[in-house]
Amino acid sequence: MGHGIQINENACRGCVNCIKSCPTEAMRVIHGKVRILEERCIGCGECIRSCRHRALSLQENDWDKVSSIKPMTVAVDPALCTQFPWSPNPAVLEDALRSMAFEPIFGECAMAYDLAAMATARTIGDGSSVKFPVISTYCPAVVRIVQIKFQELLPHLAPVESPLETCIDLWRARHNKHDVPASLVVGCPARVAMVEDPVGRDASSVDYVVSTARMTREILSRSHGIKETAERKARDSRWLNWALLGGETRHVSQFSERPLKTLAVSGMRNVIAFLQDIELRRMQGLDFVELRACDLGCIGGISNAESRFLSRIKIENYGYSPALTEEDRKNLESLYDADIWKLQEEIKSIEQVPLGRDMAKAMEKLEELHAVYAELPHLDCGTCGRPSCRIMAEDIVRGEGSVDDCIFRLREKIASLSDEIHGLSRRLVHTMTREDQDENK
Amino acid sequence: MSLGEPLVIEREVKPLDFLSAGETASEFKETLKSLGISAELCRKTSIVTYEAEMNIVIHGGGGRIAMKMEKDRITIVASDEGPGIENVELAMQEGYSTAPDSIREMGFGAGMGLPNIRKYSDELDIDTEPGKGTTLRAVIFLNAGEA
Repeated sequence: MGHGIQINENACRGCVNCIKSCPTEAMRVIHGKVRILEERCIGCGECIRSCRHRALSLQENDWDKVSSIKPMTVAVDPALCTQFPWSPNPAVLEDALRSMAFEPIFGECAMAYDLAAMATARTIGDGSSVKFPVISTYCPAVVRIVQIKFQELLPHLAPVESPLETCIDLWRARHNKHDVPASLVVGCPARVAMVEDPVGRDASSVDYVVSTARMTREILSRSHGIKETAERKARDSRWLNWALLGGETRHVSQFSERPLKTLAVSGMRNVIAFLQDIELRRMQGLDFVELRACDLGCIGGISNAESRFLSRIKIENYGYSPALTEEDRKNLESLYDADIWKLQEEIKSIEQVPLGRDMAKAMEKLEELHAVYAELPHLDCGTCGRPSCRIMAEDIVRGEGSVDDCIFRLREKIASLSDEIHGLSRRLVHTMTREDQDENK
Repeated sequence: MSLGEPLVIEREVKPLDFLSAGETASEFKETLKSLGISAELCRKTSIVTYEAEMNIVIHGGGGRIAMKMEKDRITIVASDEGPGIENVELAMQEGYSTAPDSIREMGFGAGMGLPNIRKYSDELDIDTEPGKGTTLRAVIFLNAGEA
């Protein structure tokens, strides 16, 4: 399973910052190098944030390769629009990408986001295919954590395809360019994972992935001549607003026939606490929740170049354009009827491997786990390469570690060994009597 | 270990420790998952644990909560030495609450605790005596319908 995180082993010092920052306890340090347990990783990028040695980064395709392929179409995460010293008007970015000989997807992108918002509103309005509150599937890290840790909430996920996939399909169909490869500019590992290992469809429409940081740099280094001119038409900004927490909710509400009770929550700690509240059935009466792994939404993504606070101000200043023309609406209706907004497959749970092959075996292992845990120091220091003593005990009973990995237990063992050696060294051989020994002195 | 012997995890519940209820609920859930128990049963146990622990936090003045795992069932036992429940039948009604205003202001004490526990468990037994305390036992069967 893909997680979108690149490990640079030469830079990894084997410190434990990342394993302590991981919200799903998916990281270990083994033999001095970090490892990611793929079946537990949600691609949120917290580990990249915490690594001071820059040993972790976004897994992206080589820029020289991506930029050398022509023709190449490019779709962008809306957060890319806010990365520059000029207005976040998507039309400016569109021109910049064109000047680099890419074929940018913007019109279809705006349309795909409209479609996703409309489809979500109708899914909520109809209410028959989902449980409430409906959870947005836009943030792939949120989808992953539901699959891994909150399986009971899978029926709450809106069965709506990511507009970043839909827009590429739309562009290819409308321009009859089915063979043109597509790049996606992404701001977080979860979006890379979405391409590598799509959820709810068999294959992604994306062929190459470029990080927001890389694309920002490439554009900035060529930026002379990019100016916002008066004649450049301001593009629809509804989709741009999805980069900021609350933007999707607003867009969905716009298409709803009744006022919706909604909530938008960002940051992994908040997302997890909120999902738990839903799981405990404490969130009654809510229609829709927008959950984002990153602070302030996608503008807080790990690969963004611009300050998320500035990005927020830029989006807020640029505004929101609710107006849809009659033609837009007609278009949307026919796209809606064509079902291209829908996830092709049900989102499935990612099961964690139980401790034993059957319940009896698993209970035996659990008892063993408790016994092992009781002997550990409960400091959660991380020196064994695991995020906590609890996880260490689990790894040991799964046969993936030894008590000697614990520095405190090892020290005790050395102490008792040295006592034993000391005792042995005082012991006399049978042929020597106490007097003999005294004479020898 | 033979399966005749249940595996028990017990946690102390301190009065007014609202944080711990969520933690225990999620710890019990993760433990059951590691045994390969279905997500639905994990959620039921989680809700029962949470509500039972909340009752101890709010009314019981602290106590203990335990999860007992056997081959056919999960039992949550919540016990406290608090004031006891005067009228169990009344307490079982949705919306009935004796929680003080200070607790209700925090968003708790909506009178859904016991009704929720009954809803998500297969067997519920409450042993209570005014002035002496309460022991609640909720059973969730691993194979639904076995009850």
